[in-house]
Amino acid sequence: MIGYVLRRILRASTTLLGTTLIIFVLVRVVPADPAVSIAGPKADPETLAAIRKDLGLDDPLAVQYGRYLWGLAHADLGRSYMTGRRVADVIAERVPATALLAGTSLALGFFVGLVVGIGTAARRGSAIDLAVLLGTLVGLSIPTFWLGHLLVYAFGYRLHLLPLGGFGTLRHLILPAATLGTLHFFFYARFVHTTVGGTLASDYIRTARAKGSSPLRLYFVHALRNALIPIVTLLGLDIAALMSGVVLTETVFNWPGLGRLAVQAVFNLDIPLVAGTVLFSAVLVLAANLTVDLLYGVIDPRVQRG
Amino acid sequence: MAEATPPGLGAARPSRRLLATGLALVGILVVVAGAARWLTRYDPDAIVVASYRGPVAPGGDHLLGTDTLGRDVWARLAYGAQTSLFVGSLAMGVSLAIGLTTGLAAGYFGGVTDGALMWVVDLVLTMPSLLLLIVLATVLPPSILTIPLVIGAIGWTTFARTVRGEVLTLRERDYVTAARALGASHGRIIFRHLLPGVLPGVLVLAALGMSGAIVVDAGLSYLGLGVPLPTPSWGRMVSDAQTYIAVAPWLVVAPGAAIAVAVVGFNLVGYGLIDLVGRQT
Repeated sequence: MIGYVLRRILRASTTLLGTTLIIFVLVRVVPADPAVSIAGPKADPETLAAIRKDLGLDDPLAVQYGRYLWGLAHADLGRSYMTGRRVADVIAERVPATALLAGTSLALGFFVGLVVGIGTAARRGSAIDLAVLLGTLVGLSIPTFWLGHLLVYAFGYRLHLLPLGGFGTLRHLILPAATLGTLHFFFYARFVHTTVGGTLASDYIRTARAKGSSPLRLYFVHALRNALIPIVTLLGLDIAALMSGVVLTETVFNWPGLGRLAVQAVFNLDIPLVAGTVLFSAVLVLAANLTVDLLYGVIDPRVQRG
Repeated sequence: MAEATPPGLGAARPSRRLLATGLALVGILVVVAGAARWLTRYDPDAIVVASYRGPVAPGGDHLLGTDTLGRDVWARLAYGAQTSLFVGSLAMGVSLAIGLTTGLAAGYFGGVTDGALMWVVDLVLTMPSLLLLIVLATVLPPSILTIPLVIGAIGWTTFARTVRGEVLTLRERDYVTAARALGASHGRIIFRHLLPGVLPGVLVLAALGMSGAIVVDAGLSYLGLGVPLPTPSWGRMVSDAQTYIAVAPWLVVAPGAAIAVAVVGFNLVGYGLIDLVGRQT
């Protein structure tokens, strides 16, 4: 077990190092001059040179990368070009809003998807399978931002039930969470339907059924447990996909989270802020995947030996 | 990191009908894109109605109405199909080329090559793709070529993983061992013996990759980072119209529905092909 855990952690660490290198390279190829974006286009050459010297932009790239890593090791993500505030602080400020939106929508989509997936898998037949496949296929093809605007139109402009956007009360959360949650719902409903459906066809389920196990116990304990590995894997991979949905949904609803922060930072060419948000979401994804890998050992002890 | 099977794989279903429906939708899309100039008498960029009158509602001279600048929506939608198909196929082609090469090399050579290439795959999967795309789309000079190249350069990991997986089983087959025993070169084994074996699976991925690329392109355009103006693009049409949704909902509904139809079409083709391909092997 310890060897397995160590191997996984080592792998995640090397990936993290690779991520910092990619971000560094990406940030260095930005053709816009950071000094210009700080001092403005009308600044005189001496000011620009001073800012460049101050930021260490004249040093060799290897030195700059080393300094970047050294800063990261001390939880220093640099300062925003626009506001001069510490990037770590700015990101920390935006995390709660995004966590609220992403958490609510993921929980909603996952659990409703789980129930619908198991429910439809229990009544397996060609008509239901086809309906689930077509339904989820169409559902997953709806562009997130478009769904958001349609919901705003229906519940905001027409029915006057919910706010058009913004942040603050529970009512503000409903439409964005529904938009992002719908995507996850279709995703999990399809996947759970297929995996649990496959498990239900196996011998041990037939045995449990023959022994008089109640249907609920059959579906939610016996079948679900064996289908759990692929489902948990998907949940881990989904964190990466979640970030894209978050960016679009936050833009539609003017939600003050990380996604909008990142988009604004890119438009402002606020490079430390861009690098910070990209690195932050990469670390989230890595942590999620590592957790999933370690969870395997708990769900299925056979994995450790593999 | 563990492999995840694309959701829905392996279930029995009436694949031929799915494939036929998908091909019909894609066919309509291709016809609209190809015949755009004969399907509308308006120039997609021309202001055909004085804009101070506000957007004209659908019907009459303008099938889908006009937008806030007074341009014909149906004309922009039809020419937008060209953009979507072009960006989608170029992006998919780039992903296919990178993914196929990586997957073949990793699966065939194994060992260190495999380890290194799969590490790169993990790395790309870890990066937040839309954020990375936004950064690249901002940094690189905007053009109708940049966007698909960037989308393709980020979306190749599924191709690489699937092809690698198939090569791992194929290379243990007797005919590959026989070819190796006869002294065939690596290149010959890869291109003559392994490549044909993975192509059916790649066909499925290509269809699903098209839909994925169209979705990503729409998202980028919506954020204002897609193909540069004045090229009509569906995502951009939604974002341009969003503030007018209360007075002119059709401006948002039409382009979004077009995106959904295109994505459903290519997804149906992909899922329809899965069973047909699986049955042969």
